[in-house]
Amino acid sequence: MFPLLSHRNHSNMATCIAIIGKDNTPLYLAISDMDKELDLQYRVHAALDVIEEKCSSSTKMNIESKELYLGLLYSTDNQKIYGYITNTKVKFIVVVDSGNVALKESEIRTMFRNLHILYTDAICNPLFSPGEPITSKKFDKCVRNILERQ
Amino acid sequence: MNFTSKITYSGNYQIFQTFETNLIQGISAEQCELKRSYGKVVKNITLQASFHPLEKDFLERFAKLQWSITKDPILHIFVTECSEIETYKTSVKDEIEAWLKMLQRSGCVDWMILVVETIDIRKTKNLLTNRTTVLDKIRLDFCSKNNCEDRCISILNPTKFEQKSTESFRCLLQRIRFLMLSSYNKNLVKYDDLVRCYREKRNQDSWNFLKYFQMQEDNALVQEKLQLHNEALAQYDEIESQFSQFVTNSSFGERSIWLKNFRGPISYFHGICLTRPNKFEMREKIFKGEVTILDFRNYIFERQAHLLLITESQAEVAERLLTFLFSTLREVDFIKLDSPEGALACWQFVCALEVLAFCDETAEPNDVCFQNCAPIWNLAKDKLYELGKLCGLLPGYTPTSEQLHIVVQLLAGIGEPQEFTENRRSHSPHRKPKKSAVTQLREALSSNQAFTKLYLELSELAISTYKHVSRLRSARLVGLDLGNFYCALNEPHKAVVFFTDLLRELKSENWNCLASQTLLELANCYRKMEDKISYTKTCSAISCCLDLEMLVRTFYFDEFLKSMKVLEEDESSKLCVLEDYFKILDVVVLNKEPIIQDDILTVELKLASNFPKEILADKVSFSFEMFSEIDDAKLPIRPATLINPINAKLRVFLHLDYKQDRNLSCASVACDTGKTTQTVRRTSSARRKQSPTTRLDFTNSVNADEIRVHPGINTIELKSKATRVGKWKLKQLSVVMKPLEFLSENSANFNCVPSASVRMVPFEITTKPASATLLFNDLIAGIEQPIQLQVSGGSFIFPADAKIGLKCSKNLKVALSDGGTFENHLNVPLLKFKSFEERRISLKVLTELPGRNIAKSIDHKILLSCPWSRHEIPIGLDFMPAITSSCRLHTCGTQKFLQVFLKGISEAHLWLMDARMKCDVEGVELVDLNPKSQNTQEIYKNLTVSYLWELKLKEGFTVDIIKVMFSTNYSDYENANEIMNYACAFDVMDYKTLFKIQAQLEPTELCRVRSVCSLNLRITKVEDNPFMDLMYEVLTDQNVWAVCGTASGVISMKDINSHSISLDVMPLSTGFLPMPSIRLSKYTPPSSKGTKQDLHLKLQPFPPGQIYNSTKSMQVHVIASNIVE
Repeated sequence: MFPLLSHRNHSNMATCIAIIGKDNTPLYLAISDMDKELDLQYRVHAALDVIEEKCSSSTKMNIESKELYLGLLYSTDNQKIYGYITNTKVKFIVVVDSGNVALKESEIRTMFRNLHILYTDAICNPLFSPGEPITSKKFDKCVRNILERQ
Repeated sequence: MNFTSKITYSGNYQIFQTFETNLIQGISAEQCELKRSYGKVVKNITLQASFHPLEKDFLERFAKLQWSITKDPILHIFVTECSEIETYKTSVKDEIEAWLKMLQRSGCVDWMILVVETIDIRKTKNLLTNRTTVLDKIRLDFCSKNNCEDRCISILNPTKFEQKSTESFRCLLQRIRFLMLSSYNKNLVKYDDLVRCYREKRNQDSWNFLKYFQMQEDNALVQEKLQLHNEALAQYDEIESQFSQFVTNSSFGERSIWLKNFRGPISYFHGICLTRPNKFEMREKIFKGEVTILDFRNYIFERQAHLLLITESQAEVAERLLTFLFSTLREVDFIKLDSPEGALACWQFVCALEVLAFCDETAEPNDVCFQNCAPIWNLAKDKLYELGKLCGLLPGYTPTSEQLHIVVQLLAGIGEPQEFTENRRSHSPHRKPKKSAVTQLREALSSNQAFTKLYLELSELAISTYKHVSRLRSARLVGLDLGNFYCALNEPHKAVVFFTDLLRELKSENWNCLASQTLLELANCYRKMEDKISYTKTCSAISCCLDLEMLVRTFYFDEFLKSMKVLEEDESSKLCVLEDYFKILDVVVLNKEPIIQDDILTVELKLASNFPKEILADKVSFSFEMFSEIDDAKLPIRPATLINPINAKLRVFLHLDYKQDRNLSCASVACDTGKTTQTVRRTSSARRKQSPTTRLDFTNSVNADEIRVHPGINTIELKSKATRVGKWKLKQLSVVMKPLEFLSENSANFNCVPSASVRMVPFEITTKPASATLLFNDLIAGIEQPIQLQVSGGSFIFPADAKIGLKCSKNLKVALSDGGTFENHLNVPLLKFKSFEERRISLKVLTELPGRNIAKSIDHKILLSCPWSRHEIPIGLDFMPAITSSCRLHTCGTQKFLQVFLKGISEAHLWLMDARMKCDVEGVELVDLNPKSQNTQEIYKNLTVSYLWELKLKEGFTVDIIKVMFSTNYSDYENANEIMNYACAFDVMDYKTLFKIQAQLEPTELCRVRSVCSLNLRITKVEDNPFMDLMYEVLTDQNVWAVCGTASGVISMKDINSHSISLDVMPLSTGFLPMPSIRLSKYTPPSSKGTKQDLHLKLQPFPPGQIYNSTKSMQVHVIASNIVE
């Protein structure tokens, strides 16, 4: 009776989680639907524009601001793209399905915070060289957990 | 919506109606200040009012909280003309009381009592000072307790006192305006509560969204009227979010009956219109329930846009548009509305273009506006594409009849274009008015050409706007779409531009996966364009994309090889960026430092090839350039990233800290990081250069030809002759696969390239001239002297059998110190002599002692012939003789003696032995007078050794010069075994005694001081000689002897053998005095003729051997004079 409802139940928390290095090179990408991989990558890439814009304007306005969460970067017909930037200019980008109305902003924030913790853990590995793509399986598993959580 | 505020009147209708029109005009004639809470801007507001009689119906509704803030009265006025206190007390007071009670019952507090005075009270007042007026009475009765004096006001009847009433009428107007505003202030709060209350009931079945909407909008309208635009906007936002929430909740199962109003099928889908003359056209329809959800949302958005326009924040309209569109789409989705295919795209498209036109026309262009508009352009473009796809308008398609039907349906749905020219900001008179969004869409949908034109236009606008706000990535993404469109248009050359831009952008940030996709697109374009060289390059690039599937890569690799064959040699732009195909893993100069000129320079290159198969590189070369420290210092330090942390060795060492008393304070492990100031440096997101780097100078390069490069890691040795001296640094790698050349980044920029991991270590090619020299201290002739041959190899590469030849000057011999024989020519072998080696070879030299009496150094020379030079190196050696010798002839009467002196003049310490003298002249006999016991003598510096021989001559011996030869053996004091010979020849001349001098002093005894004695001289000829005229001179010390008379004289010995002379001399001192000495010289008298020289007399001394003074060194005892004075 409510096909949308059931659809939403199956929808993921996010459709894509990306970690972008300080020089804007992708460090990690997790995509739930591989059919949309290219499209999502393009979206994530374009989101960097908005992040740059936000960061440059925020530095102008308020240097003291320590807010890492950048909020909604932009949205398309069916996706919403959120951003988060660490103090070392590593960017986290999350793409969510805009049909997923049950998703609250606070949940997005939590998602970013968790992601940040995971990322920090991953790069704490002494054998990891910063700036290189993250290939840790454990990290991947954990991020996919976030991605697929409902 | 223009509504007037309603005011009711009660009481004396007739008198009120006489000035009602005046009031209506008067209220709106002047502005009134709206005081707001602290800190907010005071607004000047024009109010409009209409007067109506009070209706009971309203009061009932008001009591029931069902009133409307827009439609219902906000102020109630009671009018009375009563001027008599008595009348007031009897009737008017009750009337007012009843009226007030009625109002208060329904909770209405906005009232006012107006007393119209028909007689001039002020005039009468003067007469009746103690009388209170009706107004005072009213105030007393109704206002005192409420402290609302100002609700009672009196005016002079304007109809009767036209002149005088103006002032009081103005007061009335102000009062009314003030009360209206305060009523609004109060009622807005009240009404807001009402709205909230109603909203809380939303779960009740009977709840109607439309009613809620109306109430909330009423609030908004009033606020708008009071110029509280932001507050009004907030009301609309509230409506919007509530609506969204309701619709969303409905999808969770909350069924709301009112929602059926919005469930109407979307058969028409007009977009928003921000230039509508009647903004409230839709409002009526909404309440009638004649609208679709799109209409409703359009209306809300239009209202919001209107309010934003008034507050001059047009940019926000653009900002809100996308949210509005997307949330509306979602709502449509949630309530599962049927809509014709493409309808929503049309709607979005029209909305987008409308907002863009709105921004263009009303807003001053600013960056915020552009920032918001850029995604809208993109959306419009996307939606148009969607429609084009749906309707078969894309390039290469022709609409089928079905698609044509869709077009007709859509065209009907989007409605007729509405052109409203009013309110438009004119940019310039020449600018054509733009077509409305609807017109543009209609045109685009009607033909393929128009569609293409519009699509291209929108894309370009999207790209340029994105670029303008420096959202380059987004611009490139639009470029991708546009490129694809151009491909579809079969204009690949236009598409290539966009693809290359995108590729550059993606590569610069290592988005490899996307970059490979773009490469595939590019390859497609180049193939269509038949641009062979680019196609070849792109194919090779694709085959090197590690994230593509192997099948794809090998396919393109084959394509690459295939198309490379057909490439012509002379085609230009064959440079490729090496980093896309290979990765330089390591570059090591294999030669050991220092690298000597003309050596073979070998560089080991570890190169990872990304090609899926083996390739044959025609030439691999690595250029190197002069390295300067300054340039290097400018380079950014590499980021702290260690690319290969396993191989990277940290320079860890032990570090000990000592206390002052030298006790160990702390031991630690330290790691030297080089320049401590810049251990970690943050690199900005430096963009990697994508165009092939310029080819550097490859005149200095290490090369390898015909190298097979396998997929994966290759180790290639590059070689070259190190021709030029200097400090060098490897700069650029070139891999040539004719006709392509893969060029790496300049290694100076490696630091900026994330993929490059290699740090180029500078190396040095050096040359140093080889040199050879002799080292010695003061050399002594006659004995072996150590010297050293010093050879500095320099950068000369010595052959195995290298040797240095030493060629000595005459009388000088040289030998290796370890037991070589002395030779005039000596070859010193340089065994296993390496470059830059320094070696000292000990030699000894020996030169003969010259038999001379001169303590002068002897110059010798050694010529060195070295393997590195064709020229001999002359080296001068100065020898000091070890000893000098001299000889003296002594006479005793006619007996002759030869004394030889040997003097040590150098540091040498020698033994002298077997001294002997020889004379080969017949008639000469040498008698050795030296004691045998002293055969061996020691001699050293400043020591003189003398030997004595008697020279015996045969009778009648007349040789002028007798040559005698002195010789002695000598040896070094330390090394007595090495006996050498020293010989010296002396010439003995004038060895015959010619004259004998005898002197005698008389008296011979008791010679007293200061008494004259006579000195008798006797000169005897011993041998016949040619010297006739002689001059004698008595030479005395003037302190000792005084000669009385002449002390000299000339005598002639002609024909006489002996001559006696007597002279008077006087001793001047006592004691044993030496006899005055006598000098005999040859005398040549001056001749009157002849040369000038002959004018003077000439004296020539005799050599010592020809005069024998027999009384020489005789002494005379002089005693003191006995004469006492």
